[in-house]
Amino acid sequence: MSAEEARQALQRCRHEIESLDRDLVSLLARRVAVSKEIGSAKKAAGLPTLDPAREAEVIRRAAGMAREAGLNDEKVRDIFWHVIGLSRAVQVDE
Amino acid sequence: MIIITRSNITDAELDAIRERIEQHGMRTHLSRGVERTIIGCIGDESLLAEVPLRSMPGVEDVLPVTKPYKLASREFAATPSVVRVGDDPSRPGRVAAFGGRAIAVIAGPCSVEGPEMLRESAEAVRDAGGVMLRGGAFKPRTSPYAFQGLGSTALKMLADVRRSTGMPVVTEVMDPRQIDAVAEHADMLQVGARNMQNFSLLSELGRVKRPVLLKRGLSATIKELLMAAEYIMAQGNRDVVLCERGIRTFEQATRNTLDVAAVPVLKRETHLPVIVDPSHAGGVADLVAPLSFAAIAAGADGLIVEVHPDPANALSDGDQSLSFAGFRSLMERLGAFAEAAGRSLGAAAKETGAAA
Repeated sequence: MSAEEARQALQRCRHEIESLDRDLVSLLARRVAVSKEIGSAKKAAGLPTLDPAREAEVIRRAAGMAREAGLNDEKVRDIFWHVIGLSRAVQVDE
Repeated sequence: MIIITRSNITDAELDAIRERIEQHGMRTHLSRGVERTIIGCIGDESLLAEVPLRSMPGVEDVLPVTKPYKLASREFAATPSVVRVGDDPSRPGRVAAFGGRAIAVIAGPCSVEGPEMLRESAEAVRDAGGVMLRGGAFKPRTSPYAFQGLGSTALKMLADVRRSTGMPVVTEVMDPRQIDAVAEHADMLQVGARNMQNFSLLSELGRVKRPVLLKRGLSATIKELLMAAEYIMAQGNRDVVLCERGIRTFEQATRNTLDVAAVPVLKRETHLPVIVDPSHAGGVADLVAPLSFAAIAAGADGLIVEVHPDPANALSDGDQSLSFAGFRSLMERLGAFAEAAGRSLGAAAKETGAAA
């Protein structure tokens, strides 16, 4: 690969990363919006807002998918605890 | 509580055990060793009283952690921890490792007094075999009228010297408001003895992605030091190095009394690396070498030593600072003690890859 070709490849990959990041953030926003609906549904059904059993299930599934995708599952667990934190925050704020 | 698993446990079995624990609102922490893998439980353990963890596939034993510190306790980790400083791909340069076979020596001036003296100090420390540079930017002084440090100007000087010499730097952070600036410029953040129980500072440092050097308080017990480490670790930052720097006793011939026994006690109680500050412990330059030898013999993973180009004219702690020649001499004599303790000296540093 020539220096010029390498530079072009780098540019292309960076554009792709930017677009993936946009997708990630919009998926997070969608996830938070759905969580909000869940929060209202729980309230209407008289269920508690916090559901640790469900959270543990989400984390376990994410770790398994991470391994299948060849990712570090421990890091993905950490990321998902943060994702759950975002969802929890909108449900608790309701 | 910790769960010791069988050596042949599968990932799916580990996941199932962790889910069982996390269902009760607790968190888990995994520590993989060669011979065994440990799941540590973080949170209110009484919630697990009725859960039959012992009968789950892959579980060998379930043990209570009776110590008030959990994440810091020896039982929580399968092997002693190695804390790597300067291991940031965005920062080319050396990496200093604490807790491995090599004894890591940090040295530098008590306070950053100017760019020239800092650069000279960094080069002298590096050439003598030191792996990291220390230098105070914010100085907690007993008197409000004493020199308080150069603050953010000194932070920039530290970052410049890191770039030019490749030496990772450690500097003290006194207040949560300083954390961002210090983390931006330094590779390791120091909590001084006087701040060891500043719990809001400790919690904030737990959220930072840089290793922390936690110094033992003037009158703090070993248990209190470990609880302070637990504060940092509980917020997610597991890279903590403990530092014994002398405690306050009735003895007045030395600035403090180096608690040599704290080193083996800490090594027994925690998986975290332990280093010793012979400069503050003794308070005079003559005591730095013998106290360093004692520290290494007792099992310390490293030292933090004050070095100044002109100790007689230092703006702070001149009496306890070594000259460059004094530091070289110390390092030359330290090798034999390291070897006698089954350790090596100075081999901790290695080059990292180029910037990403």
